[in-house]
Amino acid sequence: MKTIEQFRTLRLMALLFMGIAVISCSDDDDTPEEENEVEVITDVTLVFTNTADASDVVRASAQDPDGAGIQELVVDPAGITLSTDATYTLTFEIFNNLETPGEDIGEEVAEEDDEHQIFFSFTDGAFANPTGNGNVDNAGDAVNYNDQDGNGNPLGLSTTWTTGANPVAGGNFTARLQHQPDIKSATTGAADGDTDFNLSFVLNIQ
Amino acid sequence: MKLKLLLIFIFLVVPLLVMAQIDPCSYAVSGKVLDIDTKAPIPNAVIKVDGTEKYTTTDTNGNFKIGGLCSEKNTLIISCIGYADSTKDHEHDSELHFYLTQEVTNLEEVTIQAQRAKEKGTETISQVTVGKAEIANNPTQSLAAVISKEQGVTFISTGNNVQLPVIHGLYGNRILVLNNGLKHGFQNWGTDHAPEIDITSANSITVIKGAAGVRYGPEALGGAIIVESNPLLLNNPFYVNLGTGYQTNGRGYNANIEMGQGTENWSFFANGNYTRIGDRNTPDYSLTNSGKEERAFSFGLLHHLNQWDFKVNYSFVDQNLALLRSSIADSPDSFIRAINSEEPIIINPFSYDINQPNQTTQHHLAKAEINWWYADNARLTLVGGIQLNKRDEFDVRRNANLPIIDLDLVTYDYQLEWKHPKWSGLDGLVGVQYFTQNNDNNPGTQTTPFIPNYNTDRFSAFAAERIDFGKNTIEAGLRFDFETNDVRGRETNQDIFRDNYNFTNFTGSLGYVRQLSENSTFRTNLGTAWRTPNMEELFSFGQHGFKTIFGLLRFQDNNGQLSTDEVIPLDGSDVDPERGYKFINEFQTVKDGNTHNLTVYSHYIENYIFDRPIGVFGTIRGPMPAFFFDQVDALFFGADYTWKKEWTQQLSSAFGFSFLWSENIGDNDPLINQPPISTNIELNWNQGKFWKFETSNWSLRPSYTFEQFQAPRTITPESLVNGSATLTTDSEIFDFADATEGYFLLDVSWSFGFKNLDGSIAVQNLLNTSYRNYLNEMRYFADEPGRNILFTLNYRFKSKNKNE
Repeated sequence: MKTIEQFRTLRLMALLFMGIAVISCSDDDDTPEEENEVEVITDVTLVFTNTADASDVVRASAQDPDGAGIQELVVDPAGITLSTDATYTLTFEIFNNLETPGEDIGEEVAEEDDEHQIFFSFTDGAFANPTGNGNVDNAGDAVNYNDQDGNGNPLGLSTTWTTGANPVAGGNFTARLQHQPDIKSATTGAADGDTDFNLSFVLNIQ
Repeated sequence: MKLKLLLIFIFLVVPLLVMAQIDPCSYAVSGKVLDIDTKAPIPNAVIKVDGTEKYTTTDTNGNFKIGGLCSEKNTLIISCIGYADSTKDHEHDSELHFYLTQEVTNLEEVTIQAQRAKEKGTETISQVTVGKAEIANNPTQSLAAVISKEQGVTFISTGNNVQLPVIHGLYGNRILVLNNGLKHGFQNWGTDHAPEIDITSANSITVIKGAAGVRYGPEALGGAIIVESNPLLLNNPFYVNLGTGYQTNGRGYNANIEMGQGTENWSFFANGNYTRIGDRNTPDYSLTNSGKEERAFSFGLLHHLNQWDFKVNYSFVDQNLALLRSSIADSPDSFIRAINSEEPIIINPFSYDINQPNQTTQHHLAKAEINWWYADNARLTLVGGIQLNKRDEFDVRRNANLPIIDLDLVTYDYQLEWKHPKWSGLDGLVGVQYFTQNNDNNPGTQTTPFIPNYNTDRFSAFAAERIDFGKNTIEAGLRFDFETNDVRGRETNQDIFRDNYNFTNFTGSLGYVRQLSENSTFRTNLGTAWRTPNMEELFSFGQHGFKTIFGLLRFQDNNGQLSTDEVIPLDGSDVDPERGYKFINEFQTVKDGNTHNLTVYSHYIENYIFDRPIGVFGTIRGPMPAFFFDQVDALFFGADYTWKKEWTQQLSSAFGFSFLWSENIGDNDPLINQPPISTNIELNWNQGKFWKFETSNWSLRPSYTFEQFQAPRTITPESLVNGSATLTTDSEIFDFADATEGYFLLDVSWSFGFKNLDGSIAVQNLLNTSYRNYLNEMRYFADEPGRNILFTLNYRFKSKNKNE
């Protein structure tokens, strides 16, 4: 009875097939591990501290609360208001607040100082020192860096600014952090590497 | 028993021996037709002398003789209407070969490659096959590039290494790639992931241009590409093929080896391939970081019993593909600079080094197959397959040494198919399939997963039947799929999100073939297909390459107020699976050395998903260009035309023209990244003997690709940054740069044969034309490669002792 044998084999094959199917049907329920985002900066605050009076602190911040999300950036509408004839040290608070507690990206920038530099541009002649309009357009232009990397190139987490006697109203102040892995040198400028932040504030000196 | 209705036409030019000179019509040809696979004689094959009324059929030993011929040279048309030798009468999933024995032609063994039998369930759909010889001539190219010479087929790419096949305007997971009988299980999303298939190990590549969803399941919505590995011939003496190639552009080199043997009951093959290419260059500059390195290995084993075949295959591909360094723009300034620059921003001297951005993939495929011919003309096939795809992608960033994408995808595939005996004139295939994929993110990327973890399970059943009456064939198919998806991902604040969704779908196809005359055939097919949106289309979030992109479920538009801060469950969204309806017609006529083939199609896709720019949005880095996925109803209409002409026995030409019109018919807007009109002509001169070479072939192939006349309007990123354009999902589609201009390319090649050696010298882009390809995502940043001279050499060794 050849046909019966064939039928048996057929049934065996069907059983085998279903068997394999059931075995491999066991779904896992793994979720992706939590990742520590290193790329994201959500909050940047510029902190101007009067060198003559540590209690005279001017803060201006920008916030992108959803990081890579589509929500618009919010920049402090008040901008930066400095006094005439004063000297300030500018430092930064750079955070990723998608994490709880927020992660201090500024520390990371300081650690990787040979890959980073902050460039500045501002209304031409707004400061007595540095003069000019900053070093975004031309890396050789004057900015008073207080810090440098292991190769002696400027970093920019701390800079010094001296205002003159002339007031400025509705000017501009831009700080731009460039990530320049393997390429940072004495001559690299704001157009080299990739931008970590690029923030413009209204500048008033009165 | 009725004859199998496999129709094969072969054109062969046989220079006959001069039998007698006195009577001009006293030439004769005789010979034998054998199946090269089984060495069995093929009876009842019809041998017709073209241009005369003379014909004969082979006897039971496969012998034939035709006398009274008036010409020294004749073209024989061998049409073999199956052969009814009981147990050997099975399709070996391989091509049928025939050869005429030596005493017939006084030539060395002549092997005639028969036209491939079409896959069941796709016989009424227009399709083309690329053979081994053509693949071997260009061992360093991609799968997509090999088939892109066919009309209606092109490729969409990200740089020079990642190339995805495009059939009639559709690509990615609308085109099913069947790798050795299994759906290639890879990260099939985006235009930067191409199937990891070593083409030097392929025996043939078939492109099915219609909706083949019934036979192959979802994702064959736009067509299917069937990559066949070594056919594992029985009674095949031991052979070794060695091949090597060198290309000047990128200083690429390649070496491959294949060996195999078939005895009466056993057959095996094994092959290996290594390719390395450095930075390519355009006519004007080097494309820094555009090299690739690829290793591949595969083997197969067949055991044949009287009614049974047992087959095992394994293949492994290991790739490291570089992406253009200058394509990385993670700030608006660098994107604007890169897009406006004549030349890429970063140009370094030539190097083989592959740095970030790059992608490394290892793909393992293992398959077991059992075929059982339990009765005449009836077969059961059981296939089980496992694939493991490990993919790491690296980006230029902090911690560039850590992959930004690190995924393991495991695919299991089980198919049981029954080719049933003829029943009331019905001939067909019935099958059940179970398909499952498990995708996992490996930890340590230090970035939120771009693609979530997921499990997909799909249960399917299908039937594809055909019936013949007279000169007509009707083919009909029906398929049922049930699919479940279980998704686990992370939001940017690292909260877990989950989603679960199921789809139940029926697909159908109806086709008709009519033999209009001895020379002309008409085929028509109406097929439906469906496709689940892929994980990138649903869940992608954030930056990938130079794009910041948001998936359909990550994006909300509340009266113009855009937000991406929550993941919408699929059931609560208005996202639907894609459904396609493709109507494809092919008319072919062969007469007096002219072959005309015209394919005309229209394809309506409901809920067609594609990504496009929406504008710029403010980030801490400055305003960034953003892309999102959109779902619309789209219509595609097009035609492919080829005209092949044999001017003389040595000189032939092939003219080709492809046209595609497509539109988002819901909004009357154009689509983006659609293939432009293209045309080409290939001239071939079969020189015969040349100097010391036994064969010599020349070819010249001018081609012209037009500018895409349906490209969306252009809005530059600068105008968006300075506020002259605003972000809304309803505004008309646009692109960041104009469609690339049309371009003319000229390719020439010469191939030769000398004893067991054959080789070729091919020059691509002979005129060293500078151009950009609209379908290359790198068109924003760089030109295509310039002139390339490719040398290949293949040595074939075949042992003489035949197992007879």
